[in-house]
Amino acid sequence: MDLKSTREGSNLIVDVEGRVDGTNAMDFQTALEGAIQPSDQGVVMDMGQLQYISSAGLRVILLVAKSLQKQNAKLLGCSLSESVREIFAISGFDKIVPVHDSRADALKALED
Amino acid sequence: MSESDGETYKILVVDDEPDVEPLMLQRMRRHIRSGRYSFVFAQNGVEALEVLNSDPDVDMVVSDINMPRMDGLTLLSQIAELNPDLRAVIVSAYGDMKNIRTAMNRGAFDFVTKPLDFDDLQVTIERTLENMKAWKEALSSRDKLVSLQRELDVASQMQQSILPAQFPQGDNFEVYGNMEPARNVGGDFFDVVLLDDGKIGLAIADVSGKGVPAALFMMSSRTLLKGSAIGLTEPGKVLREVNNLLAEDNESAMFVTVLYAVYNPATGHLSYANGGHNLPVIFHGDGSCTVLPYTEGLALAVLSGVEFVEGELTLAPGDTLVLYTDGVNEAMDAENEEFGMGRLQAVFAGGAPQSAEAANEAVFAAVREFVSGAPQSDDITCLTLRRRGA
Repeated sequence: MDLKSTREGSNLIVDVEGRVDGTNAMDFQTALEGAIQPSDQGVVMDMGQLQYISSAGLRVILLVAKSLQKQNAKLLGCSLSESVREIFAISGFDKIVPVHDSRADALKALED
Repeated sequence: MSESDGETYKILVVDDEPDVEPLMLQRMRRHIRSGRYSFVFAQNGVEALEVLNSDPDVDMVVSDINMPRMDGLTLLSQIAELNPDLRAVIVSAYGDMKNIRTAMNRGAFDFVTKPLDFDDLQVTIERTLENMKAWKEALSSRDKLVSLQRELDVASQMQQSILPAQFPQGDNFEVYGNMEPARNVGGDFFDVVLLDDGKIGLAIADVSGKGVPAALFMMSSRTLLKGSAIGLTEPGKVLREVNNLLAEDNESAMFVTVLYAVYNPATGHLSYANGGHNLPVIFHGDGSCTVLPYTEGLALAVLSGVEFVEGELTLAPGDTLVLYTDGVNEAMDAENEEFGMGRLQAVFAGGAPQSAEAANEAVFAAVREFVSGAPQSDDITCLTLRRRGA
């Protein structure tokens, strides 16, 4: 698992690569929480290079979505591979984290 | 927990029927003689509380519901306040789902029905004691710093203790389930619940997270699910209720995916609702298979107020429904390739399974052969329902 973040205005863009499962979910959480600033209005998680995410990884996303909600910020996902999109659809997590086809679409959704 | 851990467990039996005491002593005599159980008796809730107040050594309670002075349901609430570590099993009239459900919601660990089947009661007592022991270890592990491995052992004991020990079957159906726990991660469980009118409730679930916190979350998920299942007939409403209860104060953001189905053996009718779980597969008599159609839902405990859409279909004679967790389709071989849905659907391409147990075993065998010794990273769980005939 590798995580890189860039900032675009008041939004944070996070690129997640590789696999997130029970063995590295804690690292994922630490890296993600470390990247988010209290001033962030929106966070876009680009999962284009994410191969797999287990329930332990989804839990981290849920934790982050809940804490962002407290600072009135949104969490969106984008560019999911077919297998990751399926995980989001079956678990229903696409109701918690709206997913968009591209990074541009996600950023546009944050503006609306 | 084997029956030879050398401990003696003291069980308080609460019932206003005078026959219960001699009958219990007679039918449990082997376990009393071996030093496994000792019994104390009370005739109503008031007497039971007096015993519990004066005797701190009582390990668990088996209580009737309808009794003079103080009934079993009131007693349960009192026990929860007096000693939350104490486990209670409720004895109720067969089909008295309303009271059973209230009892489960008030913290009863399990229930047995009248007329008492003493073999079943003994199995239930053992499961209850096993759970209580694991629970106590979990609590003490909170107080002192224990190694992660120790904590995981305790969690795995708790997980084992909530799985059904036997499966219902009839002329026209059979059920079989099995779980192979992973060494370190795990949160799978399944349950089979006997409902009104001969219907069967089937649940398969996967809790996120690991260790004692996940095991405790699993315990409450299972209890709430069982309690709701026997009170509500529609799967969507069951998941809705359990979700709302679990979502309250869920700061830890744990969640559980659950598929819950209600099967009517008389007609083959199956209704189901899905809380974010993998979709089960039906294997047909001719070797073909169908994935259960997707229905709208969300993993439980994530968000309160969620609605769960119900699906329904009818199993044909010879159809086998396989519920499973992601330990099956996401099992990986040494090259990090996943077992996948395709391989699962191909398990019975050569011919339909001849029994629920054989179907279950065949899935495990296929996964085992595929991973061929690569370390198991998640629990593998399979629950199978087969409509007999054809």
